Amino acid sequence: LGALHVVLKNPPINTKNQNVKDRAEGLVLKVLTAFKSSDLEKGVQSLDRNGVDLLMKYIYKGFERPSENSSAVLLQWHEKALAAGGVGSIVRVLTARKTV
Amino acid sequence: MSCLTLSQTATLRPYLNAVRATLQAALCLENFSSQVVERHNKPEVEVRSSKELLLQPVIISRNEKEKVLIEGSINSVRVSIAVKQADEIEKILCHKFMRFMMMRAENFFILRRKPVEGYDINVQTQTGGLRHSLHGGDRQRDQ
Repeated sequence: LGALHVVLKNPPINTKNQNVKDRAEGLVLKVLTAFKSSDLEKGVQSLDRNGVDLLMKYIYKGFERPSENSSAVLLQWHEKALAAGGVGSIVRVLTARKTV
Repeated sequence: MSCLTLSQTATLRPYLNAVRATLQAALCLENFSSQVVERHNKPEVEVRSSKELLLQPVIISRNEKEKVLIEGSINSVRVSIAVKQADEIEKILCHKFMRFMMMRAENFFILRRKPVEGYDINVQTQTGGLRHSLHGGDRQRDQ
């Protein structure tokens, strides 16, 4: 749980460096897959509104590079984050100028 | 066709829900005439004339083979679907079926004649088309 907070704290939004973004995304993915399915709900509840938006951004970023099991996990996270953030969080991902 | 393992059926429902929710978010369109040519109304997602009119393209993937790319803009949305093709014969079947539908794209109104690179079929819609299908032709009644 703590790892989730740490990893979502300083998103590399303003860097132009693709490497930094890739590494950050890899870390987030690792943390997300390490969660147990029963703990997903608590993880999402513990985030504030900005955190949920950020989580959504990372989820969509993770969808772009599907590996064996990542999509299933990401889909579960997506469902929970949607329940917390609503359609608005998706809209905020779509309209964001600077991607994670 | 392809046998669905347990993990695959488990991802189908959240996959469809995720796609539905994202579409709900992306299908907020308004009528927007072209900024480049007077009196023209072009689907910005095809023309891509200005950056400020486009939304971030978003992918939702169920596994490496199946994904949906949703590109939005101010007056149009393009949905590209990559259908799962497990072996040669499924590839051929899919290709033929998609070709069948795309050749008759005029009657479909929302189909695109050629799929985007890497995907199998495209669905594209604009404000005018949406208004017609959502409101069931109310506009005509107003007049």
